[in-house]
Amino acid sequence: MKNRNQYSEIEDFLADESFRLWMRSKEDSKGWEEWTLENPKRAKLVEEARMWLLAMEVPESDVSQQQLDAALQNTWMKIEKVEQERKMEVKLVQLWNTAWFRKVAAILVVGFLSFYAYNTYFNAAENYSNYEQIVSNLDEEGLIEQINNSNKPQILTLSDGSSVLLQPKSKLSYPKIFKGNERNVYLSGEAFFEISKNPKKPFFVHANEIVTKVVGTSFRIKAYTDESDVEVIVRTGKVKVNAAKLIRNSSQEEIVLLPNEALRFERKNQTFDKITDITLDKTINSSVKSIEQLSFEFSDIPVSQIFKTIEQAYAVEIDFPKKALEKCHLTTSLSDQPLPEKLKIICKSIGENSSYTMNGNQITIISKGCN
Amino acid sequence: MNLKKQILHNAILDDNELWAEVKAGDEKAFSILFKRYYGYLIQYGNSFSPFSEKIQDCVQDVFTDIWVYRNSLSDTVVVKAYLLSSVRKRIVRLQQRDKIFSKTTSVDAVAFLLDFSVEHQLISDESTAGKVARLNKLLNVLPARQKEALYLRYHHGLNVDQVAEILNVNYQSANNLLHRALVNIRKDWKVDLALFLVFLTNWM
Repeated sequence: MKNRNQYSEIEDFLADESFRLWMRSKEDSKGWEEWTLENPKRAKLVEEARMWLLAMEVPESDVSQQQLDAALQNTWMKIEKVEQERKMEVKLVQLWNTAWFRKVAAILVVGFLSFYAYNTYFNAAENYSNYEQIVSNLDEEGLIEQINNSNKPQILTLSDGSSVLLQPKSKLSYPKIFKGNERNVYLSGEAFFEISKNPKKPFFVHANEIVTKVVGTSFRIKAYTDESDVEVIVRTGKVKVNAAKLIRNSSQEEIVLLPNEALRFERKNQTFDKITDITLDKTINSSVKSIEQLSFEFSDIPVSQIFKTIEQAYAVEIDFPKKALEKCHLTTSLSDQPLPEKLKIICKSIGENSSYTMNGNQITIISKGCN
Repeated sequence: MNLKKQILHNAILDDNELWAEVKAGDEKAFSILFKRYYGYLIQYGNSFSPFSEKIQDCVQDVFTDIWVYRNSLSDTVVVKAYLLSSVRKRIVRLQQRDKIFSKTTSVDAVAFLLDFSVEHQLISDESTAGKVARLNKLLNVLPARQKEALYLRYHHGLNVDQVAEILNVNYQSANNLLHRALVNIRKDWKVDLALFLVFLTNWM
C-alpha cells in the first residue's frame, strides 16, 4: 500500500481502511487529524474524500439479535440434513465398493440388458402383438365377440350408439355396455367406425400394435393379423394414434390425424408412416370402401333415395312403407353420424310418428307418411 | 466460558483465525463467523432481489456448505470476499433456475439495487449537507454494476482483485468500473456545485 504522504486522489483515501474508520466512527488510531492539518492541500482532498464517504453510506443491516440466533439455528438444521444425506451417499459408495455387491450388480445389469435386447429385437419382431394376445390378456368381463365370416360387410351397433361396419374376415370384441371413463374395443381385420360424440368418454380401438383414440368421428382401421402393415384412415374429425402400451417406447409420440390423412404402421420395424394425402396412396386408394365415398349431404332428396344410399354404404336392407313415403323429400346432413343416429334423424325429419327397428342387417322403418 | 471471555474471544480472533478453526471443525468459531457476517450478507443479497426469504435461504446455504465441506476449503481466502462472492454466485444460480425470482434473465444482470444514503449525523453545516446530498444523488443514478463495485470497494474495503472476482470481470475492467464512476461523478458534481454557488450568490 502507498504511503499516505503520496496520496493524490480521493480514491487513495477512500480505499484506506483506517481513513474510513476515522471518518465514519471518529476512531483516529493513525493520527489522521494531525496529518491533515499539516498541509492545506491535503485538507482539501481529505474534505472531498469525507464528502464521498458521507454520501456513500449504506444503512446498517437491520437483522436483530433474535433473527440472527434463529438464522444460525436454522443453518445448523440445514447442516444436519445435508450431512445425513451425505452419510447415505457414503454408505452407498461403501456398499458399491464391496466386491460381492459389484458382482451381483454386474450380473443383474447384464441380465436386464439381455432380457431387454431379447424382447426388443427378437420377441417383438417375431411375435407381433395381435388380437388373440390382446383379448386373451384382458380381464375385462362381458366382452362380446363379433366375427364376420360372410363375404359382405356387417353393421354393428355399440351400446353408446356408435356404429362399426365390420368387413369380411374381421372380428371385433366390445363390451355389452361401456363402463368407466373409457370406451375400449378390440379389432382384428378391417372396420369403418362412426363414433358417437362423448368427450368425457374417449373411444379407443386396439388393433394389433396400435391404439387409436377418438372422441367422436369416423375412420377406418385395417389391421389383419397376417398383413405386414396396420392402417388408419380418417374421414371426419380428429384421431390420435399411439403404439400399444406393451411396445411403446419414449421416442414414439402420439400421432394426430385429420380428415383424409392416414397412418401406416410397419409391424416389422415398428415405425409409423403418416400419409397426408390418401388420394395419392395406391394401397389405401384401392381399399376404399363405398361408405367412405358416398356423400351423406342431402338436399331435397326423396327419402327412398336416401335409404338406398344407406343400404349401399352399410350393406343393409331397409324395408320402408314405399307408398306412404313416396312424396317425402329431405334436406339433411348425415355425414359423421353413426348409423343409428342417421336413422333417428331421418325418422324425426319425416314425422313424429315415425320410428325404426334394426335386426342385424335388416332395418325396418315404420311410418304413416311425412308432414 | 463466561460472557466476558467470550466477547474477548470474538474480538480477538480475526477472520483468518476463525476460518482456520472452522476448517478444524470448531462449532463455536463457525457461530462467531456466522454472526459476524450474516447481517452484511443479507444486506448484500437483498440488494439484488425483493424476495428476502429466498435471500436468507441463500445465505444460510452458503454457510451450510462451508461447514459441510470445510475439509476442502482453501486456507488462503479473504473471508469477507469469499462470503460475498459465494452469496452472489448462489443468487445468480437461483435466479437462473427460477425465473420468478427476478425479472431479469441474463447471468450478468443480477442488478444491484441498493441505494446509498447520506450520513446525516456526521454533517453539521448546511453547505456540506448540500454538497453531500448532490453527490449522493449522482452516486445513486450510476449503473448498477458501478454502484456495486463502489459498494464492495469502499464499503466493504475489498481490493480491486476481489471486486473483479466477485463481479466476474478481469482486473482492468473492475478498475475501469471504479475509476469511471469517480471521474464522471466528480465532473458532474463540480458543474453542479458551480451552478449551486452562482445560484447562491445571485440569491444573496
